[in-house]
Amino acid sequence: MKALRILGAIGRATGRKLGTFRALKINNFFLIIALVAYSAGESGIEPASAYPFLLFLFAVLLFPLSSDPLDEVPRSRLALWPVTPRERAVLRAASLVLSPILWFVVLLLFFHRIRPGVASAFITLAILVQALSTTFRFAPQWNVRRYVPGWRGTIGMLMRSSLRQMLVSLDVYLALVLSLGAVLYRLLDAHPDPAAFPILAILIALAVGDYAQCLFGRDLGGSAITRYRLFPLGGTAVLLAKGAACLAITFLLTLPVQLTVGMTYAFTALAFGHHASVIHPAPLRAWRFSGSRVYIGVIQGIAGIVLAFGAAQRGALYLASSVILYCLSLAIYGRVWELRRAA
Amino acid sequence: MIEARDLVKRFGDATAVAGASLDAEPGICALLGPNGAGKSTLLKLITGLLAPDSGSARICGLDVASHPMEVRRSIGVIPEDLGLFDSLTIEEHLDLCGSVYGLERKEARARAADLLRVLRLDHARDIFLDQCSHGMRKKTALAMALLQNPRVLLLDEPFEGIDPVSSKTIEELLRSAASRGVTVFFTSHILPIVERLAAKILMIRGGKMVWNSAVDPHARPLEEIYFDLVEQAPPANLSWLGAK
Repeated sequence: MKALRILGAIGRATGRKLGTFRALKINNFFLIIALVAYSAGESGIEPASAYPFLLFLFAVLLFPLSSDPLDEVPRSRLALWPVTPRERAVLRAASLVLSPILWFVVLLLFFHRIRPGVASAFITLAILVQALSTTFRFAPQWNVRRYVPGWRGTIGMLMRSSLRQMLVSLDVYLALVLSLGAVLYRLLDAHPDPAAFPILAILIALAVGDYAQCLFGRDLGGSAITRYRLFPLGGTAVLLAKGAACLAITFLLTLPVQLTVGMTYAFTALAFGHHASVIHPAPLRAWRFSGSRVYIGVIQGIAGIVLAFGAAQRGALYLASSVILYCLSLAIYGRVWELRRAA
Repeated sequence: MIEARDLVKRFGDATAVAGASLDAEPGICALLGPNGAGKSTLLKLITGLLAPDSGSARICGLDVASHPMEVRRSIGVIPEDLGLFDSLTIEEHLDLCGSVYGLERKEARARAADLLRVLRLDHARDIFLDQCSHGMRKKTALAMALLQNPRVLLLDEPFEGIDPVSSKTIEELLRSAASRGVTVFFTSHILPIVERLAAKILMIRGGKMVWNSAVDPHARPLEEIYFDLVEQAPPANLSWLGAK
């Protein structure tokens, strides 16, 4: 009975946790893939071009989804509760049923078009991801944050903090997977299609660009936002430090693909993302996708793609336009941030 | 150094601060009150973290609303939520503060080393703040408040969650700063510390100031005054507790 009650609580916690992935449906990358799949469906053809990207998306989602449901109960609480070893064993076994990954695997197995080999590979990948997560949890010395390089000066140090915050955003890992895919395609394909690289660069920048809508997301989840308000720093400097982290990650990930196109999208995404970050700030949980308001995401996506395609054809002119747009936005929303500093 | 006149702050129908006024000169001034009395809100109004619905606050003669940047440069604050970056280590917080407040790098490093040693944080300098205990987080916030050697210190509950040795060190630090002309304004629930440390005591209840006086060594004990003016403890007798 006790075990059932605890299981009920774990079930509720898991349900709420799944609810925190709702930003995915307003994520620009997901919207683009959904659009590609929908267009193919409308034309009566199989949306095969969307499959690899959906696969990337699921691979990234595996990390947060494959966590142990029993972890929803704090370990100290579970140890202190008067639960017998038998009830503990029941809890251990039954809580696995609440794992979203298990439901997904069951769906895969029952979906006739998926081969058992693919389903087995998926299960193996989920187990591998879980093993990796557990290893890193028990090895705090492998803290990836320590390897983020630092720079001198206020902006440099704030940028380092923002870069570390971005390391727990799924957007960055999706972009990383896409970037690795693009590099492998460039290296391993005998005749890589040059027209593919601008598109891949846009997709990478699109994945990172969603974070531009939630620049203060991780600060709002903690208390750093108070410190930003207390520091004698102008709003422009604060937004610059935040945006510089996004630009740095886009730079690194699109460098081996098509830098001009990626950076054009990144500057444009930040120019429009400032509006969401300053006017509609929303907390961002660790290991989730970013997203703020659908209309901002759509405007950001359309403007970014148009300018980025322009940059693919005419280069510097469109990149310069996006930089000017970014600087204007920085000045305007820096002032707005300043005015809204005292709530 | 700190002047507040008729500060009012409402959140919907609730009035958190209802016309609070205060003056604090160089020295140590403590603000007491029960949970939810408006202490932290008042501190946020004085530091400019919240804009008042009416009334005004001045620090070092500067209006908080019209000279926010100058005010921020002259104050050191422990805010209610501590205002810390989970993705920076303790030492990186102090490096950042040194840079933000325009200290020479060498000077900032020397002050940071002093603060880490005095607050017994030197062994933990490389730990990320999201891996620190509550006491370590509070001491980091205090170190950040002290680093730029501000003229006014505004500290929200600096002694809560702190071990006795560090608590004694913080008392000494605040006394020493006050003796050199710094205005220290802090909130607390720990009456013995307030009684030992403060030269002036304010008490707030329901957003209104109910006591504003310099400490008189011949007056009644602080605890008596507090229970009379601020709140009485309800009878704490749970019939089922301990019953078989």
